Amino acid sequence: MAGIERWNPVARPRQAAIAGVYTTKQGKLPDRTSFSLQLEAIKGACDDAGIPVEEVDGIIPLSMSDHLPGTTATQFWAAQLGERPLGLMETGGASGALAKAALAIENGMCEVVVLFYGKAGSLVGPRGTAAADKAPRVPDWSFYQSGAYMTTWYALWAQRYMHEFGATHADLAEVAVFTRYHATLNPNSIMGRKGEITVEDVLNSRPICEPLNLLDCSLDNDGGYAIVMTSAERARSAKSKPVWVLGGAESTYTDFYTTINDPWFPEEGKAVRRAANRAFDISGIGRDEIDVAGLYDCFTITTIRDLEEMGFCKLGEGAEYVKEGHCRLGGSMPTNTDGGLLSNSHAGDPAGMHTIEVVRQLRGECGERQVPNAKIGVSLQQGWAVHGMAGVLVMAAD
Amino acid sequence: MTYRKPLPQIEPANQPFWDGLAAGEFRVPKCDNCGHYNWVPFPACRSCLNEAQTWTPVSRDATVWSFSIVHRGPGAFNEEVPYAVVLAKLAEEPRGCIVIGNTVGIDPADLYVGMPLRIVFETIEGEDVTVFRFAAADAAEPDEADAALSVENQPATVA
Repeated sequence: MAGIERWNPVARPRQAAIAGVYTTKQGKLPDRTSFSLQLEAIKGACDDAGIPVEEVDGIIPLSMSDHLPGTTATQFWAAQLGERPLGLMETGGASGALAKAALAIENGMCEVVVLFYGKAGSLVGPRGTAAADKAPRVPDWSFYQSGAYMTTWYALWAQRYMHEFGATHADLAEVAVFTRYHATLNPNSIMGRKGEITVEDVLNSRPICEPLNLLDCSLDNDGGYAIVMTSAERARSAKSKPVWVLGGAESTYTDFYTTINDPWFPEEGKAVRRAANRAFDISGIGRDEIDVAGLYDCFTITTIRDLEEMGFCKLGEGAEYVKEGHCRLGGSMPTNTDGGLLSNSHAGDPAGMHTIEVVRQLRGECGERQVPNAKIGVSLQQGWAVHGMAGVLVMAAD
Repeated sequence: MTYRKPLPQIEPANQPFWDGLAAGEFRVPKCDNCGHYNWVPFPACRSCLNEAQTWTPVSRDATVWSFSIVHRGPGAFNEEVPYAVVLAKLAEEPRGCIVIGNTVGIDPADLYVGMPLRIVFETIEGEDVTVFRFAAADAAEPDEADAALSVENQPATVA
């Protein structure tokens, strides 16, 4: 930490801080609506911050809105929240959107920003797609014509990765194993109660899209969450311990799963590499200073690629890094300590969930799974195509 | 049997591609300026941003660049599991084209990265579209192949 000013009230009087976080119940929620989960999350995160909802003047809605057809989610929520003029309307992925919200707060565009998401009653996986009576028509180059979906794309990515770097399915499975272990220490996780799993359990689970089996895949459940960000001055007098935003960045490089270029794993990296390099540069934090990480883990392969592109290890060495135990609680950089998307929750767009867990770790609220003396953390959200869009946020607590 | 898997809603700009499949050609936009191929088609070349491109028939030779064997499929695809989804790299350069598609006449268990493929065509009965599949490079031409193949070996063509 030497030389790092987490918050310098003279130089950065308005530096942004995460003041509130909230997660609704995650799981099957047949009696809830997406709207109701979003509203609960907004109120919950504001309450956690001790900031009235009426003071929110910036929004980052990660969900669509279906209440007023032809109306964007931003327009709908501006009206729903009372028709007060808002100062920030941001979309995109969570960590990158939060990085931009921090700049907006620091520069006086707005005071209190809430990022939120909620989804109930629908599935993102193949179970959610009913068979049609006749051929549905989709865009010319849509992968749906080939029976591909998200899992297939990550499977294609994994297959190519294994081919290029000699990794095995057992290597990938190690990610599911440490992530499930973390979930067993999180009483709110969906899979924790099922207990720990082994590499063999992953290899013996049923195939979904080879080489990925069921236990290589994230969950597919309902749930909501929200994050409140405000200025350092306000955050210091807020209800919960502030988590300073040291810096962040976002990047995107490709379309939505139509264009794939060879190589898929270039030495110089792609969107995640760029976002991570910028975020670490802006924040003045070195990778070896990270105490706790939240890295997007929709599939086992994703975590391995995250570690490489974020620069925690070299290209092709992600599996080895995991096997060395760095990511496991007790290791050099405990990662996805809530159980991640693989074993805690994946409610459709879980882009903010990793940031929430890092905030809770930096506050010291994580009980059995607490990383001792965690002061500096990083979150990575990725999506669209595999690693197509990325956001990285570096945070710290006093 | 009615074909119930998704088919293209053809955009006018892409009509030459789908006409090409019906004519037994796989056409890729080739930049009139730099000569690079562009897949998927974009309004301008992604190498030099030149808008003038020509739909150019390619050799139909490709190799498996990556693949997945799908055991849980969306919609009507779930009635055909397991089926293969491949990313095939066309033989043409520069700016190599990686094309997603299904296989025909290949046991998914036989797939490997680098396996030689050949693009073949399938006219969808009762619909106004011809689609493409990837066959093994040494397989017979599609007319003969269609007659010779067993149903369980061609999940992508159950129609």
